Amino acid sequence: MVELIIDGQKVEVAEGATVLEAAGKLNIDIPTLCYHENLTPFGACRVCAVEVVVDGVSNLTTACDCPVEQGMEVRTVSERALEARMLAVELLLAKCPGSEAIRSLARDMGIEEPRVELETEECILCGLCVRTCQELVGVGALRLVDRGLNRDVKETFVEASTDKCIGCGSCAYICPTSFIKLEETGNTRTVWDRVFKLKKCQVCGNYWAPEAQLEYIRKTCNLPSDFFDVCPNCK
Amino acid sequence: MDFKKVVFSSWAGKVVDNRGLEAEACAPVEELNLPLEYDSSRVKAFMGWDGFLVVDEKADVVDMAYAYAMEVQKLACGECAVGRIGISVIVETLGRLVRGEGREGDIELLQWVGKGMKDNAKCVLGQTAPVPILDSIEYYREAYLDLIKNKKAISASTYHVKIIAPCMEACPAHLDIPGYIELIRNQRQGASLDLIRQGVCLPGTLGRVCTAPCEEACKRNDIDGPLAIRALKRHVADWEMEVGQIPPVSISGERGEKVAVIGAGPAGLAAGYNLALTGYQVTIFEELPVAGGMAAVGIPSYRLPEAILDREVDIVRGVGVEIRFNVRVGRDITIADLWKDGYKAIFVAVGAHKGRAMGVEGEDKGYEGFVDGVKFLRDVNLGKKIVPVGRVVVVGGGDVAVDCARSCLRLGFKDVNILYRRSRVEMPAREGEIEGAIEEGVKISYLVAPTRILAEGTKLVGLECVKMKLGEPDASGRRRPVPIEGSEFVVNADMVIAAIGQEADLSCLAGEDNVKVSKYGTVDADPETCQSSEKGIFSAGDCVTGPAILIEAVAAGNRAALSIDQYLREGGAVSGAGASRVGRSAALAAQREKESTISRAPQPVGCLPVVERIPGFPEVEVGLTREAAQEEAKRCLRCYRVMLWQAGE
Repeated sequence: MVELIIDGQKVEVAEGATVLEAAGKLNIDIPTLCYHENLTPFGACRVCAVEVVVDGVSNLTTACDCPVEQGMEVRTVSERALEARMLAVELLLAKCPGSEAIRSLARDMGIEEPRVELETEECILCGLCVRTCQELVGVGALRLVDRGLNRDVKETFVEASTDKCIGCGSCAYICPTSFIKLEETGNTRTVWDRVFKLKKCQVCGNYWAPEAQLEYIRKTCNLPSDFFDVCPNCK
Repeated sequence: MDFKKVVFSSWAGKVVDNRGLEAEACAPVEELNLPLEYDSSRVKAFMGWDGFLVVDEKADVVDMAYAYAMEVQKLACGECAVGRIGISVIVETLGRLVRGEGREGDIELLQWVGKGMKDNAKCVLGQTAPVPILDSIEYYREAYLDLIKNKKAISASTYHVKIIAPCMEACPAHLDIPGYIELIRNQRQGASLDLIRQGVCLPGTLGRVCTAPCEEACKRNDIDGPLAIRALKRHVADWEMEVGQIPPVSISGERGEKVAVIGAGPAGLAAGYNLALTGYQVTIFEELPVAGGMAAVGIPSYRLPEAILDREVDIVRGVGVEIRFNVRVGRDITIADLWKDGYKAIFVAVGAHKGRAMGVEGEDKGYEGFVDGVKFLRDVNLGKKIVPVGRVVVVGGGDVAVDCARSCLRLGFKDVNILYRRSRVEMPAREGEIEGAIEEGVKISYLVAPTRILAEGTKLVGLECVKMKLGEPDASGRRRPVPIEGSEFVVNADMVIAAIGQEADLSCLAGEDNVKVSKYGTVDADPETCQSSEKGIFSAGDCVTGPAILIEAVAAGNRAALSIDQYLREGGAVSGAGASRVGRSAALAAQREKESTISRAPQPVGCLPVVERIPGFPEVEVGLTREAAQEEAKRCLRCYRVMLWQAGE
């Protein structure tokens, strides 16, 4: 077990826990955007910035991916932490004003109008979709394509391997800005510009899930070939 | 590098402000360890990760800041919100300023975003990029205010850029290490491998045997341990093998000229690979029946499995390189023949495969049981049968000596010893190899040197040795071993393997009197251009430098290919690429106000348990799994450093 101090309060957590998890144990709320408790942390949005003092040295770091250390001192609302957090949220608000998740964060922090005007974008590169597809669904159809040296990428983006995609829509569900669009019309579902045929229940006749997704689950769990011919409601 | 008179400098946080002062009153800038090797007359202004500097007072600092910000944006990965959005705000704002569209509040905006990035960007690039821009606002505020007030546009100047990183500079081939690590982190193994192949054609080999100078330079050394860069390289090379992928080949044009390469070692393969990709017709003449040079016949297969190297040699042949085996230039064919056959350039890359004499009485008598280390390893690697004897003693402390000892164990020798004339600290062999040897049961005696071979008839029976002590450092910086008078003693042995160093066998140059050879028995060739003293003949690798590490040979082969290409296109003497020297003298580790980083333990690179290693030659080091590789890749701090400068006439 590791003991640390957060905002003056002592807390004990298992080794390997993060500062965010430790704060949660004390019911100290640190705002997040790209974090999800079922996914490995990514540290992309920079909203959960906190001040951490280790061996007398003060660092600013993201709480979601900072492993706890014995005797660590964390300040979640120090001036430095708040300034950093507010800058992150204000920049995100300027870039993606359409996102309710970001607007809500801004409201909570008292940020009204961003002081800059920027070309807006719908994807904030939080990586939730990539991690969800990789870690929870296990398919890994989504990847980040970064800029960098020797790489001809103007703007970083999320790339979808439409042939790997099973149409489950988990990415659309988790996306905080509604950038990922999922549309259903009758017997098809469209996501990432690929049209998926939906399976029809043999009993009630409803179209209930993409055939590709059901086939993936069937194969992964070694189920008989007719397992999904009847929808869960009718089973 | 001489920057005695600068107008202004904020480099490393040391402000030198000579603006408006008469020449005599100017403070000289002495210990300014700047990363440029131009002299002060050729640089007007410079901006880098630790500050900026103005030499010509007419240089426009705001324009330079704008050019610098644009370069940072190109390099920014774009993953973290603060870094990505932050740099775009800086670029947009500076762009308006230089176009005469500056507004009230622009300075404050730049300072707000700059500070935010320094504090809260995800990687080192985002955290350090704003430093010189903020400096320029602090010390050249008038220039900014002037632009806002007068709303006049500045005409852009031309700048040179160089991107470096501590690991990239330490790498002799200057691989884009943060780049390929990042691609692994994003599960883009194929793209990572493509990026690596742009710099080296032997990723699987290097991923196993490189001494990894990059890891010594890694910034995480001061925090929690370096990135396992070598293991990450191996990971993507192995991935390609596992998924059965064949690398894409793209040959740029057809040149037609024939180039001959002597020696299919790492330098020869690298040069051949690059020349073939440029469209030349390359033939490598190799005297052994296998390609790979020391990698094939010097490094045992428990370190580098045959299948790995064979595959990489096949990839080199796959781009059009012809390798003719069992052809020794100097014996089966001469250089004169090569010119007659229509080759237009020759690259000598014969390496250093001759074991150096120990200087011990009796070593030239041909006693049974006395073996040269390089030959021993070659025999092992070529599958020759070696019968174990009672006790074997290996003399030497480098990788060849340790490889010989560990190979002996695997061949069934039970009593394996190493004698080294200095102490453990000075042993040049890779640390992991020495540890492996000791784990496996090799007995190492330090501060011992042989003086005489003892024989009965024609058979070696032992070594007369003397104990050593360490004296003053020699030219290599290591303390010189000095014999202790009267401490002679006898070491019994059934076999002695001499592995104290290697030298080049330059018999391929017999009759080539115009190719100068140094007094050390190495080819006299320019280290940058690889040009020898004879037109059209180039040379690089161990036969020029003496035994060095594999990556240096590959990097040298790359350079030779560039030079040969330039020579064949333009004729005449080849000029070195001056820009490649930029950055060499940089104190790359230094960084102002950079906070320490939260510690995160490195992923361990495992080894086979000792019981599974011997007998036989299974690979000892275990690679990283995909998950471990991704975890390790996440530790990379992305220490890219941007250098931008305005050159004078």
